[in-house]
Amino acid sequence: MDDFERELTRMMRDSRQPAPFGPGHRARLYQGIRVRRRSRVLWRAGGSALAVAGLSVGLALLPGTGSRSLPADRPPLPATSPTPPPRSPGPTSAPSPSLPPTGTAGTTYPGTTYPGTTAPEYDGTPTFPPSDTPDASMPATTAPPPPVSTEPPVAPPSTEPDRSPSMTAGG
Amino acid sequence: MERFRADGFDEFVAGRWSALLHVARLLTGGDRQRAEDLVQEALVKLWFAWPKVAEQAPEAYVRQVLVRMAARSARRRWWGERPVGELPDRPGPGDVSAAVAERSRLEAALALLPPRQRAAVVLRYCEDLPESQVAQALGCPVGTARSHASRGVARLRQILSDSVRPVG
Repeated sequence: MDDFERELTRMMRDSRQPAPFGPGHRARLYQGIRVRRRSRVLWRAGGSALAVAGLSVGLALLPGTGSRSLPADRPPLPATSPTPPPRSPGPTSAPSPSLPPTGTAGTTYPGTTYPGTTAPEYDGTPTFPPSDTPDASMPATTAPPPPVSTEPPVAPPSTEPDRSPSMTAGG
Repeated sequence: MERFRADGFDEFVAGRWSALLHVARLLTGGDRQRAEDLVQEALVKLWFAWPKVAEQAPEAYVRQVLVRMAARSARRRWWGERPVGELPDRPGPGDVSAAVAERSRLEAALALLPPRQRAAVVLRYCEDLPESQVAQALGCPVGTARSHASRGVARLRQILSDSVRPVG
């Protein structure tokens, strides 16, 4: 260390001024700490929100999730429909075993329609299984509706009197 | 926990404030306002690192932060630091204090140095740090730190040669 360096050292140390750490400095320092802490919290919150948003977008765009997992050509399952009304055996048709209700559009499986009855057109509402109850819109029924009368009808031998078609048709 | 941290931190700041401000003032070439800002920012950083560095070397941490922030702030244009051919604030015949004149001369000469040379000179000759610690504060190898200090001293010698007289 030469003379100049010694002089430089002396100049640097002698130029030091006493500067006490006053209350103003302390207040300013802690205000800076509060501001920095607030900004750090905001940065973390923003980062977390961005991470959540990125994950959501990533999961939404991933193939094989959500509704895209179903193959398009899979036949629709039979939809459940409200409980069908009690079936009254027709006068001419024999009571058949309980059939599953069909209520989907355009899905008429063989075996669910009775011979002699036409499959109803789909009108947007769930359809019940084709009833053997006589109806005016079903001209192809094999038997005409029995006349409505107050007299107790003569029940056919195979049907019960209280579940006769006349009660259903006459209201 | 917070109370304990604040107590130790306050004690450290109150004890080292003057020295840190002096170093910061030399690092900024005599800009007192900027030096206070630098010290404040460095101490705010120290507050968040206090649990980790309190038992080790908090002053070295602050010194390192100060040096890097001073170098970074010197690169900003809005500080208005620009080299000049002639030293400002030259003491005139009517100046009252030779000490004030000498300090002004020194700060003005330091302001003409590049930030890293200035930091190397200040840490080496004012803080009396060994070269290894100067290099650590500058974030460079020891040889580079030595080179910065050597070039800075040579430049200061050239600037101050007409105003600094040898001791004795």
